[in-house]
Amino acid sequence: MKTRIVVVVSILAMVLAACGTGAEETTTTAPDGATTVAPPDSGTTPAAQTGSDLLETVKARGTLNCGVNETLPGFGTKDTAGNFVGFDVDFCRAVAAAILGDANAVHYESLTAAARFEAISSGLIDVLSRNTTWTQSRDTDLGTDFAETTYYDGQQLMAKSADGFSSASTLNDIEGATVCTNAGTTTEKNISEAAAALGVTITLNTFEDFNIAMENFKSGACDILTTDGSGLVSKKATDPDGGGWVIFPSVPISKEPLGLLWISNQSRFGDVVRWTIFSMFYAEERGITAANVDAEAAAPRDGEIGRMLGASDDEVQSKMGLPKDAFYQVIKQVGNYGEVFDRNLRPLGLERGLNDLWTNGGLLYSPPFR
Amino acid sequence: MSIVAPQTKPPIWRNGTVLKWAAQIGVFAGVAALGWILVSTAMANMRAQGVSFDWEFLTDPPGIQLAEGIFTRPASGLEVFATGIVNMLRITVSGIVAATFLGVVIGISRLSSNWLLSKLSTFFIETIRNIPLLVQIVFWFFLCSLFFPALNGVDAGPIPGWLVVTRKGISLPWIFPQQTFWQWLVFVAAGVVAARWMVRRRVRQLEETGQNTHPGRYGFLVFVAFAAVGWWAHPLAGALGWVWQLLAGIVATVPLIGWQLVLGGAAVFLAARWIFRFLDSRRTPAGLARLTDDDYFRMFLAGALGLIGAGVFLLVPGLTDLIARVTEFVLRFFDAKFDFLRTGAPLALGRPSIVTPGRFPQIGPTGMTLTPAFFGVWVGVTLYTAAFIAEIVRGGILAVSRGQTEAGLALGLKRGRLLRMIVLPQAFRIILPPMGNQYLNLAKNTSLGIAVAYAEPIQVGQTLFNQTGDTIQVFVLWMAFYLAVSLVLSSIVNWYNRKLALVER
Repeated sequence: MKTRIVVVVSILAMVLAACGTGAEETTTTAPDGATTVAPPDSGTTPAAQTGSDLLETVKARGTLNCGVNETLPGFGTKDTAGNFVGFDVDFCRAVAAAILGDANAVHYESLTAAARFEAISSGLIDVLSRNTTWTQSRDTDLGTDFAETTYYDGQQLMAKSADGFSSASTLNDIEGATVCTNAGTTTEKNISEAAAALGVTITLNTFEDFNIAMENFKSGACDILTTDGSGLVSKKATDPDGGGWVIFPSVPISKEPLGLLWISNQSRFGDVVRWTIFSMFYAEERGITAANVDAEAAAPRDGEIGRMLGASDDEVQSKMGLPKDAFYQVIKQVGNYGEVFDRNLRPLGLERGLNDLWTNGGLLYSPPFR
Repeated sequence: MSIVAPQTKPPIWRNGTVLKWAAQIGVFAGVAALGWILVSTAMANMRAQGVSFDWEFLTDPPGIQLAEGIFTRPASGLEVFATGIVNMLRITVSGIVAATFLGVVIGISRLSSNWLLSKLSTFFIETIRNIPLLVQIVFWFFLCSLFFPALNGVDAGPIPGWLVVTRKGISLPWIFPQQTFWQWLVFVAAGVVAARWMVRRRVRQLEETGQNTHPGRYGFLVFVAFAAVGWWAHPLAGALGWVWQLLAGIVATVPLIGWQLVLGGAAVFLAARWIFRFLDSRRTPAGLARLTDDDYFRMFLAGALGLIGAGVFLLVPGLTDLIARVTEFVLRFFDAKFDFLRTGAPLALGRPSIVTPGRFPQIGPTGMTLTPAFFGVWVGVTLYTAAFIAEIVRGGILAVSRGQTEAGLALGLKRGRLLRMIVLPQAFRIILPPMGNQYLNLAKNTSLGIAVAYAEPIQVGQTLFNQTGDTIQVFVLWMAFYLAVSLVLSSIVNWYNRKLALVER
C-alpha cells in the first residue's frame, strides 16, 4: 500500500514535469512564431493590416458602411420616410460619392455613443460620422484616426428659465444640481472636471440613451442637461417646451471638434476622407455649389478648380485611387460645406461662428489642390 | 485479487485506463489551446490596431463622476469599480431578501382557498413574469422620475421629515450604524454564540426531561442580554484594536520570502492532506479498496494543483506581495474601527431631510435615499424574481404528498401550524435548488440597471472604457466579478442545501 502511494506520487511528478516542459515550449516558441507566422495571419485581420486596404475593400463592396447618430436632429436622424438625414449623414454621403460615385451607396449603422468605437475596431463600419470629438486618447490609444474637423463645437449646459437661469448664467450657478448627460462621451468628463475645478458639487447621472436624459430634464428629475452646444440647440429647437429653456455659458466649457474617424493605419482611405472634406471647404471658398458645378467643370475658372473637379489632366484624384471626377460628384450630389450647413443646421438656429471659412473669420481652411 | 484469470493484456490503444487518461489530458490540452489561440489572436489584433493592453486605468484618475455610491468622485479606476460593485451588491442582497419573502407569500396565496387572494396572486405572477424585465425596470424608473411629485422645497412629503417621495428619489427613515458599531458587533457576535449554546442546552434538557424548557425564548433572552450590555460596554471591545494593529505590524515586518514560503507550504500541505484524507476515505476494514481511474485522476489533480500553487507563490513574488498588502489593508481597516475611547450609541435613527445647497432642492444625506434609478432596478428585479419564486414555492408545496396534510389535519393541527411545521419544511427541500437559480438570475439581472443609468459595474465599467479605451480589460473584470458573485451565491445555496438534505444511512 505504501508502495502504491510512492508510485502515485512518482507518476504525478513525472506527468507534472512533462506538463511543465510542454508549457515552456509553447511560450518560448510563441515570440519567434509570431514573426514567422505573421504573413498568413494577416488574412484574419482584414481591417487592421496594411495588406487589406480599406479603400479597396469599400470599392469592392460597392457600399460604404457608415456609423451615424439616429437621435440628434440636424446631425443625424431619420426623416418621416425613414431615411437618415443630417449634417453628419451628409459627410457619409460625400465620402461615398467620392469613392463610389454615388452618394446613396451608403449602408448606415445607427450607433449609441457607447457602442461607436467598438463598431470601428470590429470592422462593422468603415467610417464613423457621429458627432464624435477628436481627442488625443481617441486618436492614439483607441486605435482610430480622425479627419479634419467638420464642426467646431463646445459643451454647454441647458436649464429652465423658470429656475432663474439666463444665458448669462455660469457654472457657479449649478451648485447642488442634478446634472444629466449621455454616457460614454467626453461631456461627462468635461462637466466632472469643470465642476471639480470650481469646487461646485453636483450629482451627475449619465444615461445610455440621451432621450431618457431629456425626459428626466423635462420632468425635473434632472435640473440641468449638458452636452455639445449644437446638440442642445437642436433639442431646444425641436421640443415644444424648448421656449422655456436657456443655454449657457456663452463661452463653452470645453472644445469639442467633431469629425469623421476610422481605424488606424489606413492612410489611403484616410486621405480620401480628408480631401473629400477639403473639397467641400474649397468649393464653398470658391463659390462652387451643387447648382453651378456643372458649368464650373465644363469651363474651370482656374487650374486649381480644374484639378479639384477632375476637369484637367493634372488632377491628383486618380493617384489617390479615386475616379477623376470624385470631388465633382461630391459637390454635385451633396453640395459644398456651406450648403450642407444651411440645409441641416441653419433651420435649428445654429450660426456659423467658428464653422465659417477662414476668409470670414472662421476655422475652415483647405490646403491647396495641386 | 484472489482470482487469477488468464489475462491477455489489451493493446495500448484499447486499454481503458490509457484511453481515459488520454481523453482527460486531451480535453485539457484542447481547452488550453483554444484559450491560448483566442487570447493570442485578440492580442495580435489589438497590437495591429495600435490598441494598448495595460491595467494602468485601474490606478489612474478617471476624471469622471458617478451618480451614487461610496465614491461619487472616484480617484482611480479601482474606486470606480468598487463603487459599482457595492451598488450592485446593495440591490442583490436586499433584493434577494425581499424577493424571497414576497415570493413565498404569493406562492402560498396562490394555493389559498380564498378565491380573491388566489386569483390576485395568479394575476400578479402571470403579469410580472410575462413582461421583459428591461421594460419593467424602465417602467418603474419612469414612474419615479417622471410621475412622482416634483421636489419643490423643504416641505416635500407625503410625511415631511419621515417619508419623502419625489421625482429625485424616495427617502425613508433608517437606522444607521455609527462609528462605534463595529465594537458593538463584537458583543452581538458573542451573543449569537452564547444563544446557540443556550438553545442547545435547553433542547437537551427538553429531550431528557420531556418538559417544555422554551429553548427559543431562552436563546433570544441571552442574545438580547449580550446586545444590551454591549450597547454601553462596547468600548471594552475597543481593546481588539491593539490586536489588529499587532497583526498588521507582523504582516508588514515579515519579509516577502517568508510569506512566499508560508503560502507555498500551505498549498502543498493542503493538497497532501486532501490526498491522504481521500485515501483514508477509500479504506475499508479489509484494507485499501481498489482505486478506480477516477480516483487516481483526482489525486493527480490535487497533487498537481498543490504543486502548481506552491510554484506560483514561489516564482511570482508579486502575488504574495499583493496578498500580504491586502491582508494588511484589511487589518488596518479593522484597526481603524476599534478604539478604547470611542463612545456613543452604535446605532442611530436617521430621518429624511431636504437640503438646498444652491438653487435646487435635493434630498439630504440623513435618511435612506433610493434614487429613481435604484428604485427602478430594485423594484424591477425584486418583483420579477418574486414571481418566479412564487411559482417555485407553489410547485414545492404541491409536491409534498397530500397524505402529509391529511395526517396533520387528522391530528387536529390548525392550517397555519400545519403549513409551518409539516408542509413547508418538506417543501423547502424541493424549493431550494431552483431558488438558488433565481438568486443567481437576480444578481445578474442587476446589470440591466445600465438602461436607467444605475451606477452598477456594467454602467461604470462602460463609462470607464469609453474614457480610456481599455475595453478588453474591463470585460475581463466584468466576467471575473460576475463569476465570483455567482460562485459565492451558488456555494452558499449548495451548502444550505446539503445541510437541509435528508441524512441517509
